[in-house]
Amino acid sequence: MAEPILRVEHLSIALPAGGDRAHAVEDVSLTVHRGEIVCVVGESGSGKSMLAGAVMGAIPGDLKRDAGVIRLGEIELTALSEPELRKIRGNRVAMIPQEPIAALNPVVRVGRQIEEVFALHTDLPAAERTRRALALLADMHLPDPERIARSYPSQLSGGQCQRVVIAMALALEPDLLIADEPTTALDVTTQAQILKLVCELRETHGHGVLFITHDVGVVAEIADRVVVMRKGQLVEAGEARQVLLAPAHPYTRELMAAAPGMIPPPHRPVTGEHALVARGLTKTYGARQALGGVDLEIRRGETLAIVGESGSGKSTLARILVRVIASTAGEAHVAGVDMLALKGEALRDKRCAVQMVFQDPFGSLNPRRRVGDMIVRAGVLAGARPVEARRRAEELLELVGLSKAAFHRRPAAFSGGQRQRVGIARALAANPDLLIADESVSALDVSVQAQILDLLRDLQDRLGLAILFITHDLRVAAQMGHRIAVMQHGVVVETGPAAEVLTRPSHPYTQALLAPHRGGSWGRRWRWGEPLTLSPRRGERAG
Amino acid sequence: MTPAGRLMLLKPSAMIGLFLVAGWLLVAAFAPWLAPFDPLASLTPLASPGARAPGGGTFWLGTDLLGRDILSRVIYGARPVVGLSVLATSTAYLVGVSAGLAAGYFKGATDAILSFLASVVLSFPVLVLYIVVIVALGASYANVVLAVTFGSAPAIFRIVRAIALDIAGRDYVAASQAQGERAHRILIQDILPNAAPPLLVDYCLRIGYSAITIGALGFLGLGLPPPTPDWGGMVAEGRAMALAFPHLVIFPCLAISSLVVGLSLLADGLNAEGRRG
Amino acid sequence: MRETLTDLARRAGGLALTMLVVSFLVFLTLELNVEGVAVKVLGQFSTPDQRHAWLSENGYLDPFAIRYLRWLADFVRGHWGTSTYYHEDILKLILPRLGASAILAGGALLVMIPMSLILGVAAGAKEGSALDRSISLVSIVTTSIPEFATAVFLSAVFVIGLGWLPGVSTMAAGLSLRELILPVSVLALASTGYIARMTRASMAEVMAQPYIRMARLKGASPARIILGHALRNALITPVTVIMLQIPWILSGVMVVEVFFAYRGFGTLLYQASLNADVYLVEACAMVSVLAVVVSQTIADLIYVRLDPRLAPGGGRHS
Repeated sequence: MAEPILRVEHLSIALPAGGDRAHAVEDVSLTVHRGEIVCVVGESGSGKSMLAGAVMGAIPGDLKRDAGVIRLGEIELTALSEPELRKIRGNRVAMIPQEPIAALNPVVRVGRQIEEVFALHTDLPAAERTRRALALLADMHLPDPERIARSYPSQLSGGQCQRVVIAMALALEPDLLIADEPTTALDVTTQAQILKLVCELRETHGHGVLFITHDVGVVAEIADRVVVMRKGQLVEAGEARQVLLAPAHPYTRELMAAAPGMIPPPHRPVTGEHALVARGLTKTYGARQALGGVDLEIRRGETLAIVGESGSGKSTLARILVRVIASTAGEAHVAGVDMLALKGEALRDKRCAVQMVFQDPFGSLNPRRRVGDMIVRAGVLAGARPVEARRRAEELLELVGLSKAAFHRRPAAFSGGQRQRVGIARALAANPDLLIADESVSALDVSVQAQILDLLRDLQDRLGLAILFITHDLRVAAQMGHRIAVMQHGVVVETGPAAEVLTRPSHPYTQALLAPHRGGSWGRRWRWGEPLTLSPRRGERAG
Repeated sequence: MTPAGRLMLLKPSAMIGLFLVAGWLLVAAFAPWLAPFDPLASLTPLASPGARAPGGGTFWLGTDLLGRDILSRVIYGARPVVGLSVLATSTAYLVGVSAGLAAGYFKGATDAILSFLASVVLSFPVLVLYIVVIVALGASYANVVLAVTFGSAPAIFRIVRAIALDIAGRDYVAASQAQGERAHRILIQDILPNAAPPLLVDYCLRIGYSAITIGALGFLGLGLPPPTPDWGGMVAEGRAMALAFPHLVIFPCLAISSLVVGLSLLADGLNAEGRRG
Repeated sequence: MRETLTDLARRAGGLALTMLVVSFLVFLTLELNVEGVAVKVLGQFSTPDQRHAWLSENGYLDPFAIRYLRWLADFVRGHWGTSTYYHEDILKLILPRLGASAILAGGALLVMIPMSLILGVAAGAKEGSALDRSISLVSIVTTSIPEFATAVFLSAVFVIGLGWLPGVSTMAAGLSLRELILPVSVLALASTGYIARMTRASMAEVMAQPYIRMARLKGASPARIILGHALRNALITPVTVIMLQIPWILSGVMVVEVFFAYRGFGTLLYQASLNADVYLVEACAMVSVLAVVVSQTIADLIYVRLDPRLAPGGGRHS
């Protein structure tokens, strides 16, 4: 086995007194070898990012390491003074940060930001620094490195910024690369390219990689070894194959089970009456077309999942259907009425027919109102008498799995997942024909995500709801959609039963979207056209 | 938490501010009971601080050129400054908040027109604006209030508009719209309560600004007609003899400074408290 | 380049439109009531007959719109009329006074800019430190004291107490630096605290940004982080705000000039308003608004230059 690059031994970091737990990281040990990718996986609050910060000697000011040793090769990092650590940072240990755009100084050209690493740690002359920076950009497969080097971060895309940041990290050939959720802020297709780049660089440069992520799919893609963390503690560690396919700890099993697989349920055609028939939905902002003539049909009891990357127009579509933004053209018939043609009083009467559950659990509930009041008001606006609306609100709270006490509380008293339940209850209070869920689970941890998806499916069965489920996450779409529609640049490029779209994608864009999951899907490696029947946990990981 | 409970959590500097502000409010309210002398009565001209009054009692802060007791005039002077700055700031808020909410929520032409008007008024230096109004309409309580309202409303409008624009983009507003809630109800139920904390901070600060301008107008002799005791006016009257009798001007200056410093410290404390919780 | 030109044209248009509306408001407020104008020009003790004769002689009986356009045309050509108090041509009266006030305001900016930026950066670089808290507290106090009170307090110490400085700044024997010290200090004190607090907030916000953490993780020293990464970003807002302070400084200039009997633009407008010198008030109002609008346009241009995100073509292409 290759030499160990990083050894973390019994590391503990104390949280300030009065928090919900005493330690941000508690007694964690791990090792990264040369040429190896170790993934630290965990949900929010698991302490995984704190661990990464600790290795860099950069934990927030009010926290303190109270036990443990961190060694980089032969150097004991935890014994170094701040000026000594500075010589190591960016030089022998480098970080790839979470938000590439925010991590670059907006008023400095990116070329200079890369050169800064050489200026900080070497005596190279200016011309040589510039030459090396350009060479690094070229290594990152960035087209026209001169232009990129001259650009400000705001002139580059997210993926380009991420490559710049990786170039910066690799500038001095560090022994260890720490990647903190480096792909979370990126689109699926970009994400796949960056992961590929990370693997490729590991091959050519032979550094160790400590890769922090919440995404089991990413782990499956790149990890050699996996460390699972929860609430600051190390839950399980081992070879990727073993941890993913035969997890020993119950929490790991839960995590794996909650991570949605790419396996759609068998096709169940829904034959009810139409809840929504939309034709030619169009939205233009000046010369830019956000939505270019979208046709949709959803039946009662059916879920149509709309998949697309950011900027594909899927959220514009949702907001047009609930009439929060105006469409440029098109019609949307719900219960026989064209929602988009209504105005004034007539519109207010019919609005309850289409309701929405929003993405951000923290932004979608007015922090100043009581949960009960919101749900009651939604009922009253849909035409119920106040007494009736109140009774219904209490029923709904129970239906979405919240206690009666929730009625009198304000949103601040709830977690993200609970807030989404409140949002669902509020939407249902209007008795809608169509429920739109716009990225409603993407801000949640996987385990909570799974619960909310279960709730939505359960409500659909009970109430015969038609659901328009909007997501960027193919795996979530695979789980939820009877049918899937793929959107790109404001148009639907492909639509059909979920199993068909996922297994036999006909449009090149759908194929590109699915590509990262091909073979990377941690259930088993599958190929186009191959039936997806094996359950993820019992399957075998090829390769 | 109750508003009173929140006040208890303020940092020490803010507690001092609260103490100063509450003190001046009480002084203004109970001036007739607190003032040892009639503020308009001529007693002993230019007595020094601490001198005995002819009819018994002490001129704690001395007397002015006309023999009026300065302490009593400072106490009575709190009334127009505190009263007018609160009144004028409140009317300015009424105008600024309504216009700002409308512009931030409805956007479009409403916003364009209101924003342009605000930028026009804001391109006047405040004192110049007040002078134009007062030269045209004359100096009186009502015109001072009018001038301050006219001068402050556009700045308030800009703040409210920015906050309303931000909140109008939140999903809970979209949710209310999707339910068929009417605009006025969304403004009152969703936008205004969430805009309130920063506005409260600004309100405190702005009462201070208004007090400064009202004081400056008094100092320039453009504020309230004499012989009403007002702090700025007292400084203007005493300025000619200030070299020989500094007490004529020092005390009214201390009065207005402590009031405005108090308001600013309180605003700062509320701001810090708002960001914390 | 083309974008820059259209941008400039757009700004110039906006500036002209603002000035047009301002001129209308000023004229409307001061000259709508023609009787009032006659009283102000001819004095309290003129007879109604005299006033009527004067009004018809000077075209005041024409419709309002015509009077406004005539006034505007005169104004644009620099015919600003004669002051009824000073009995002098207004343009000739204003120009030297503007110069005198510019010295005062310029002196104040010269003191205020470096002081406020240094204090603000020092406070914001380590949010919550003792230095931060004391700078913030002093800033709050100095901005809260009205100019005339600051002038009183400083005079009490340096004129009455120590006898170091003169109490008036009439510049009777030509420009005297000694006489400038007090008025400039008063003006600078009032604005320094405000800008320092603004700078502090901006600096503190920047120090919390991911790119500052990134610079640290690259191995940069605290000094390099502040000078090389934080400063340029943190100064964008305050530098702009300094230009937006101009209207406040102009208001302060007026109080300070009156207090120290300094013969500048502020005392001119003050005398004009005390004596109901309508034409002079109009001209002074227009000039001060022009100064504000121009300074705000410059602030906008500086802002765009400092922040590459706002430059033409600097926006994200996604």
